[in-house]
Amino acid sequence: MTKLEAVIQPSKLEAVKEALIEIGVEGMTVLEVRGHGRQKGHTEFYRGREYTVDLLPKIKLEIVMPDELVDKAVQAIVANARSGKIGDGKIFLTKIDDAIRIRNDERGAAAL
Amino acid sequence: MSAAPFLNSLRDRYLFESAQIRSAFETSGDGLAAIHARTALVDKLVLRATEPLLALEGIAVVALGGYGRRSLFPFSDVDLMFLCANDSTKSNARVSIRQASQDLWDMRLKLSPTTRTPAECDRLDPENIEFTISLLDARFLAGDRKLFERLSSETIPNLIRRERQPIVNSLAQRTKQRHEKFGETIFHLEPNIKEVPGGIRDYNVTCWLLHLAEKNHSDEVNAASLQRAFHFLADARVFLHYSAGRDDNKLSWEVQDRAAAKAIGIAEKQGMDATSWMRAYFRHARSIERAAAKLLKESSTQRPTLYAQLRRWRSRPSDSGLIVEDGRVAFQKSLHFNEPSDVLRLFEFVAAEGADLSAETESRLRQTLPELVAHMPWAEAGRSLTTILKSPHAAHALRAMHAVGLLEQIVPEFQLIDSLVVRDFYHRYTVDEHTFTAIDNLHRLSDRENQWEKHLSELQNQLESPEALYFALLMHDLGKGLNTREHTSGSVELARPALDRLGIPDQIKDTALFLIGGHLEMSSAMRRDIFDPENIKAFATKIASPERLRLLCLMTYADIRAVNPDALTPWKAENLWRLFVGAMNQLNRGMDDDLIHATAENEQVARLHSLIPKRSRQLNGFLEGLPRRYLLSHTSDQIAVHFDMSLRLSHEPISVGLKMSSELYELSIVTNDRTFLFAKIAGTMAAWGMNIVKANAFTNAAGVVVDSFYFKDRFRTLELNPSEREHFKHSVADVISGKKDLQELLRRRAAEPSVTMKVTPNINMDNESSSHSTLMEVVAQDRPGLLYLIASEISQQACNIELALVDTEGQTAIDVFYLTHKHKKLSSGLANSLRDRIISQL
Repeated sequence: MTKLEAVIQPSKLEAVKEALIEIGVEGMTVLEVRGHGRQKGHTEFYRGREYTVDLLPKIKLEIVMPDELVDKAVQAIVANARSGKIGDGKIFLTKIDDAIRIRNDERGAAAL
Repeated sequence: MSAAPFLNSLRDRYLFESAQIRSAFETSGDGLAAIHARTALVDKLVLRATEPLLALEGIAVVALGGYGRRSLFPFSDVDLMFLCANDSTKSNARVSIRQASQDLWDMRLKLSPTTRTPAECDRLDPENIEFTISLLDARFLAGDRKLFERLSSETIPNLIRRERQPIVNSLAQRTKQRHEKFGETIFHLEPNIKEVPGGIRDYNVTCWLLHLAEKNHSDEVNAASLQRAFHFLADARVFLHYSAGRDDNKLSWEVQDRAAAKAIGIAEKQGMDATSWMRAYFRHARSIERAAAKLLKESSTQRPTLYAQLRRWRSRPSDSGLIVEDGRVAFQKSLHFNEPSDVLRLFEFVAAEGADLSAETESRLRQTLPELVAHMPWAEAGRSLTTILKSPHAAHALRAMHAVGLLEQIVPEFQLIDSLVVRDFYHRYTVDEHTFTAIDNLHRLSDRENQWEKHLSELQNQLESPEALYFALLMHDLGKGLNTREHTSGSVELARPALDRLGIPDQIKDTALFLIGGHLEMSSAMRRDIFDPENIKAFATKIASPERLRLLCLMTYADIRAVNPDALTPWKAENLWRLFVGAMNQLNRGMDDDLIHATAENEQVARLHSLIPKRSRQLNGFLEGLPRRYLLSHTSDQIAVHFDMSLRLSHEPISVGLKMSSELYELSIVTNDRTFLFAKIAGTMAAWGMNIVKANAFTNAAGVVVDSFYFKDRFRTLELNPSEREHFKHSVADVISGKKDLQELLRRRAAEPSVTMKVTPNINMDNESSSHSTLMEVVAQDRPGLLYLIASEISQQACNIELALVDTEGQTAIDVFYLTHKHKKLSSGLANSLRDRIISQL
């Protein structure tokens, strides 16, 4: 099992979500987050006051999936979240030891 | 006889008769009959099981709680008390009591037995108030009847007399905690019908409070509607228990579908859709919730505050004919329930003060409503609704109007969304309650603590026509009642006749309809990249005016926050603010690229043509090339006046108009463009001591200038000396034409006291945003003569003001000028020197 964490542009969420469901991803956790990488924030003036946006709004997806689905999921995210500009986001993959469904103690891939 | 066969036959009988009760319910759907029948069945079992016990003296078997009330739902617990005359009876009876309880458990009854002496019943245990409350429903079953009568006619009444307030307070406290757990609203999509506000528990609380009250409050509640409501909930809960096969009280969507198909709780036994069935549920829940809230308010320990309020209201000079007692408002004799003006005034008061209606007022209103409607003065109702919507307790007043049915009479379209459920995971409230909550969100905005809500609260203070926003919120979701896929256009179609009927002025109506039609625009722009200039530009172009952007931003805030308490996450709220800032800057920067072409289709231009039917060609000539902002920031009537002034230019080169409104004066000047024009007007006004709050200057393609100045008459010169108004207008015209010397006028003016600088001046020159002009944004401490100072400096540098937007926020002046030099953008050298020269004088 692998945990996929993807940080993407909020505007790409719908497309990415649909693409993931399409390839068979059944559940995901979506978080509203702020952050920055090399795409630093910017400054906006409004009525003489300066508003600095140093942390930009992003969406973070967390999905734990069977290993055979990982490549397809990565492709689906990349294809739908890429604009080619700085700030498109990143994907992180981590190995997962086990999963437990709280309701009935199912373990491993069955619990996903 | 051995115990086992006796028990077996009793259990069989219990199961058999339970099945009969169930089958009777499945035929009749009558929940009350089912709970009464189950109570009677359990009574028989208890009597049989406790028979051996009753041979002993000084023992009574007593039903408590729901069982005592004869309200045993199919899977409810059975609360039973073995009342023993004293401690020795109690210890003698222990074994027999245990046996009887065991037998009843073996019959699969969920029995909660307790053994008490009257002395123990007489003590209030703060840790176990539930027991004392369950005594309120005590019912004799068997045994020593005299012992029970002592309990019911002496012990319990004495206990209530002695401990009334602690019991009531504890009941209020528990109810409050329970309501908090359920978000303090009746409007749940899948309600737990026992525990939610307006549920069965609240019905019980109402009955207990009536029982506990010192004075008779039964006239405070509408007993008939309360009974009907309980009957509905009883039907629904019995249905739920039988469906789930256990004590399950959650009305899930699936159960709602099935209950609706069987028309559970509905008199006409015709299947219906779940939405209509839930509407019936919410109506009943609302009557229970209102009754419980009323009695809780009445009997809780909040009295000092209420009395303080009462004193405050009483001490106000009252010529309104309204009287407030115990925080409830009622009519004095001079007012009439069948007189629409009096009734409207009552709700204006409720909206201003947050008072409740007295029970009598409420029931009299319900009675006189048909008569009231027949003579509804629509325009007056429109004015009154405007006042109500703008008042701090608007939502409270609207809920009260909704409850007595008045709101639906003033806005009949509102019936479509009465108790309407939206089936999705995000909406917590029914559409009507969502609407009220949204309106309340705006009124509570200034109380909010976090940074971005403070920003929004500042926006609210800058609104020119908040009325439009409140009307828009009131009607934004009317279209959901039409059951179409997309609701905004339906809302617009429903709102238009409603606003017309109420005689809402065109400008407010147009803005309200714009907001209703576009109330999802900002949310959808937020779903795209809010830092993408193209997205911002597209959004700003749709909105087109700063006032509308402010209104839409506030509307989006209020709307999202009313979906459910957590819907507006700080993340989303911050994005809303960012988008607003981006779009506002876009609007102020790109204005001279967005010009009117009078021949193009436009609703307002069409209306102007109908206002001025015979001069179409001249009107088109006047409008051609004015920024679109001009149309959006002036009413059709104002534009008609400007047009009229422009026609006079052939024989009167400078046309000056002056109009008073409640707070600001408006000076309009229509003339051909000339140098120093803006500076001269601003200077004349400074010489007269007028404080300019807002101004805009527009030029059309033919070079006709339309300038509007909104100002405060600081010394009330024009107000106290009507003859000075003409003098003032002449003075402006003479300075512009050069007949009078501005410097001379300014010298005559007494020196202004110097202003302590609070706002650090800042000037931003921008050569990017506009394709034709250089933008100069000046932010500075507001003071008399400021605009003259800036405008004359601009003119001295031989720069032309193409457009000007002048605004004031509290102590801060924010002025945006579109400047050209010899019809081109300013060179960076000129821009810098102009900025430095102005800064040095600020």
